[in-house]
Amino acid sequence: MLISIGVIAALPWLLASGYWRGILVLCAMNVLLALSLNLVLGYTGQLNLGQSAFFGIGAYVSTILIKTYGWNFWLAALAAVGAAGLVGVALAAFAVRLRGHYLAIASLGFAVITYQVLVNWESVTQGVRGIYGILPPVPNTVALFYLVAGIGLLVYFLLDNLVHSPVGDTLRAIREDEVSAAALGVNAAVWKAFAFGLGAAIAGLAGCFYPGFVGTLVPDAFGIVESFTMMAMVIVGGMGTMIGPVIGAIVLTFLPELLRGFGELRLMVYGLALTLVVLFMPGGIVQAWIAFRNKLA
Amino acid sequence: MTDLLALIVQQSVNGVYLGCLYVMVALGLTLIYGVLNQINFAHADFVTVGAFTAFFTVTRFATKVLGIPDTGAYLLSLFAALGAGALLGWVVSAAVFAPLRRRGADELRPLIATIGVSVLLENGQLALFGPIPYQFDSPLARETIRLGPIFFSGQSALVVAVSVAAIAALYAFMRFTFMGKALRAVAQDRETAGLMGINENLVIALTIVIASALAGVAGAMLGPVVVLTPFTGASLIVKAFAIVIIGGFGNMEGTIIAGLLVGIIEAFTVQYLGSGLIDLVVFAMLLAMLVLRPTGLIAERKEENV
Repeated sequence: MLISIGVIAALPWLLASGYWRGILVLCAMNVLLALSLNLVLGYTGQLNLGQSAFFGIGAYVSTILIKTYGWNFWLAALAAVGAAGLVGVALAAFAVRLRGHYLAIASLGFAVITYQVLVNWESVTQGVRGIYGILPPVPNTVALFYLVAGIGLLVYFLLDNLVHSPVGDTLRAIREDEVSAAALGVNAAVWKAFAFGLGAAIAGLAGCFYPGFVGTLVPDAFGIVESFTMMAMVIVGGMGTMIGPVIGAIVLTFLPELLRGFGELRLMVYGLALTLVVLFMPGGIVQAWIAFRNKLA
Repeated sequence: MTDLLALIVQQSVNGVYLGCLYVMVALGLTLIYGVLNQINFAHADFVTVGAFTAFFTVTRFATKVLGIPDTGAYLLSLFAALGAGALLGWVVSAAVFAPLRRRGADELRPLIATIGVSVLLENGQLALFGPIPYQFDSPLARETIRLGPIFFSGQSALVVAVSVAAIAALYAFMRFTFMGKALRAVAQDRETAGLMGINENLVIALTIVIASALAGVAGAMLGPVVVLTPFTGASLIVKAFAIVIIGGFGNMEGTIIAGLLVGIIEAFTVQYLGSGLIDLVVFAMLLAMLVLRPTGLIAERKEENV
């Protein structure tokens, strides 16, 4: 805990240029998003490809409340987190009836619908023209990084406690075998709704910081590609572990930056990396590391 | 009144044409799902590869090298795209699906691996061809056929003809050939089929190759009527999934009906609500379907997924 606080405190001064500080903020946001998806995908075993929608809902609800209704940032963030969480519970209504690929496509369809609503509901969202001149809640990038990274750390430890509590056991029981879990008296519907709602709320929380960081808000930031990116972070890092998605988020935020020299081949390498990790490190970086350490010992 | 009727018929014709293209793409997904219980997320990118293959066949190889007139060149490009799709399908089958199957992977990992393949293909083509849209002409798109008050282009007649022929060939293959029978056997029960001496790996590879070849041809037919970029196919993939689900995963008849239905609904959405709302209407339909009848239009045996 102390070490991670120390690392977070030192990072903006180790990577001191404005550009790299921006990447750090992005990285902290990605960590939050990966943590949010991991709760649903990794611990509850629900194939959710709609996480980008909650990120978008958080961003739009908070920004509209601030810009149009003049709300205070924190109040707006609270409302946005609540809204994303509620929509997450609503999506869980599908998860109660559907499993596996059906849920994957249903949640993907949900993400597409959310995206289309953002594009078409112009009177509220400004559609593809976008919302401009959005200010971050704190004056500079370093402060924004400390804020988002601090929240990320807090969320990490809260989730860590959660998954090591009986609630975590319940979620894992649903993941491993829903029928057996139900036979043991687990109300799978309620707990799925809980996981979806909490996961969505955390993604919505990440969404609150995104518009202020970028300064503008357009629907394209919340397309289904964003869901794929989050999923890649969780898988590459190691899903169903707490630290895995954090590592995945860090690696996949910085890897494209380090590959910038490859120009247009950059994203190609990213796709290749994703496929290769699934093929050759099925448990992600975390499991590969454990296996490597065991081999040394 | 006759005007309204003519309009309805005209939009239905447009819808059937669009629907045929969707069916060509979605059938492949459904075939793969039926046999393998896996989703190929890169499937629609095979459509893009087919379209680019057709583009280069028409504009470079056939007309410049072989000196074929343009109608012949375009028809040749359909076969080139078929070959490109089949080849790509074989590569993905051997490099991604087969190793994951050997390891007995769950349903999630092949999905993620093919998302990676999709990103790889899209950006690989972006690096090769650049972001500026390509355009090529099908000589058939210039022909207008008139039937009373109804108009349609030669291209849409070709699309419908090729789709019907492809579906007929597929059905004949499934019914009357040994490999077709083997394919159906593997779809029903992979292990038992293996015990009966069917080479299941060959059957699965063949299924993926056939599915990808269909996607390639669809690309060659789509190429001349859209702005061709490396991301052309990607815009189709989610809709193709919607069709597969509406029709019932792994169910060919259901997929064909759902594809045509989505095409027709899309045509009428453009007419009455505006083209911006197409995706909204299609996916609202998908979610409604999942709530009301999650087994798809034609109920199937795969209860465990619902």
